[in-house]
Amino acid sequence: MLLTYDRMGGLKVVLWVIAVAVCIFLLVPIIFIIALSFGSSKWLAFPPPAWTLRWYQDLATDPRWLTAAFTSLKIGLLVTICSVLLGVTASLAVIRGRFPGRQFLRGLFLTPMVLPVVVFAVATYLLFLRVGLGGTLIGFVIAHTVLAFPFAFITISTSLESFDKSIEDAAVLCGAPPIVAFLKITVPSIRLGLLSAALFSFLISWDEVVVAIFMASPELQTLPVLIWAALRQELSPTIAAASSILVLITLVLMMIIAALRRRLAE
Amino acid sequence: MALPALLLMVIFFILPVAALLLRSVTEPEPGLQNYRELFATSTYTRIFLNTFLVAGITTVVTLVIAYPVAWLLAVLPGRKAMIIFAIILLSMWTNLLARTYAWMVLLQRTGVINKTLMHWGLISEPLPLVNNLTGIIIGMVYIMLPFIILPLHSAIRSIDPAILQAASLCGAGRWQSFRRVLLPLSASGAAAGALMVFVMSLGYFVTPALLGGANNMMLAGMIAQLIQSLLNWGLGGAAAFILLVVTLGLYGLQIRLFGNALAGGR
Repeated sequence: MLLTYDRMGGLKVVLWVIAVAVCIFLLVPIIFIIALSFGSSKWLAFPPPAWTLRWYQDLATDPRWLTAAFTSLKIGLLVTICSVLLGVTASLAVIRGRFPGRQFLRGLFLTPMVLPVVVFAVATYLLFLRVGLGGTLIGFVIAHTVLAFPFAFITISTSLESFDKSIEDAAVLCGAPPIVAFLKITVPSIRLGLLSAALFSFLISWDEVVVAIFMASPELQTLPVLIWAALRQELSPTIAAASSILVLITLVLMMIIAALRRRLAE
Repeated sequence: MALPALLLMVIFFILPVAALLLRSVTEPEPGLQNYRELFATSTYTRIFLNTFLVAGITTVVTLVIAYPVAWLLAVLPGRKAMIIFAIILLSMWTNLLARTYAWMVLLQRTGVINKTLMHWGLISEPLPLVNNLTGIIIGMVYIMLPFIILPLHSAIRSIDPAILQAASLCGAGRWQSFRRVLLPLSASGAAAGALMVFVMSLGYFVTPALLGGANNMMLAGMIAQLIQSLLNWGLGGAAAFILLVVTLGLYGLQIRLFGNALAGGR
């Protein structure tokens, strides 16, 4: 009776103990970071002697962190727009198109997901060095869009696949111009897919570090680049505060995505 | 409609990667000398071996820890399973640098883990837990766990519990039903997850760079160093090509053996 929960007996206890241990293992670093960011010890003593908001104040008053956060936000939003637009057009072509090589295209669009990021990062670094896009905002946006696009493509093409195109066709037959039919019928129907594609794209750019390390210049640094640079020098509590903010943003976006998924399922 | 996405992929993904690979056979002069150098220099071959060693240990440890969790998740009714899933997804999507930073602080000589163990009198000297193989393995297992629990869970879930009831009716004990029924039936799911974790580990950059020591460099770190610090683009390109061939080859194997199940990795 190894797959019937109520009849597993002592085995159930063993599995539970391991699962709880794994959950603690997965959660501890995340909780630890947040606790550390409120601790008063500069040397990261834990449990901290007292609690403080000092490290957050340091962050909020340090122009480097603020500029980096703003840069990350700007790049993330631009990547979101590009990646969703490309995701929609590519999904329409692959799902609705009737041309040979659609399966090949689908495979091609997903390869950035499986290629080791470091290979893409150094390749882009060398190309951008040559064409003068290194260390520029547009260079960042292009490189992050390549990484985010596969996720947008998968999400959007999945929701487009489950949408019945004949409803859009009906609107066209009733006299709506195709573009209006698409915008007014199809887009609202797949809006949850679009929204999760947008959130995923933003999150990928916002968290991305490997390409960013190669792309960054002293004038243009994203938040992960700054954390990376700080980490290689010393383990300060300011990094814990910056990391906690990243964790918080991830948490919020994940909850939105989960809520969307639930609505999508209903 | 697929044109914009196709252009992005060709110009900013395929082209730079191809150019990087081309450098491996053209710089400093045409020929295969870069590959010869990689395989003839003991520093480089040690890095290759180390990469496979780390990826191998990570895979085995992750698989052993993940199996009981996936098993419990597969039989657990509703709500409790949702909580475990939420923890897994949260850890998976939390910023990579934030999680790695947490482990750097937790594992350092004066960190919580060493202090606690010393406080309990289990050790008298701090254990070297970071800047070595131990640190890398802890960090990598932490990151890879979700990627193996999720596919393994769906593999175990798809097994019909009636088969195990039949085994038990035929007189098989728990151990025998596990070893002769459950394990073989879930083996392909486990192998698929393990192969994916192995491939993702091979190309990992951030975690080994931060949690490993100078002796634990992996292939991704070596590529980064050759290109960015040593400006040896030919040799870096050759190393990137090897990583690329191994990665895509193993993914190809995975698709042939287990069907198409892509998952993201950073």
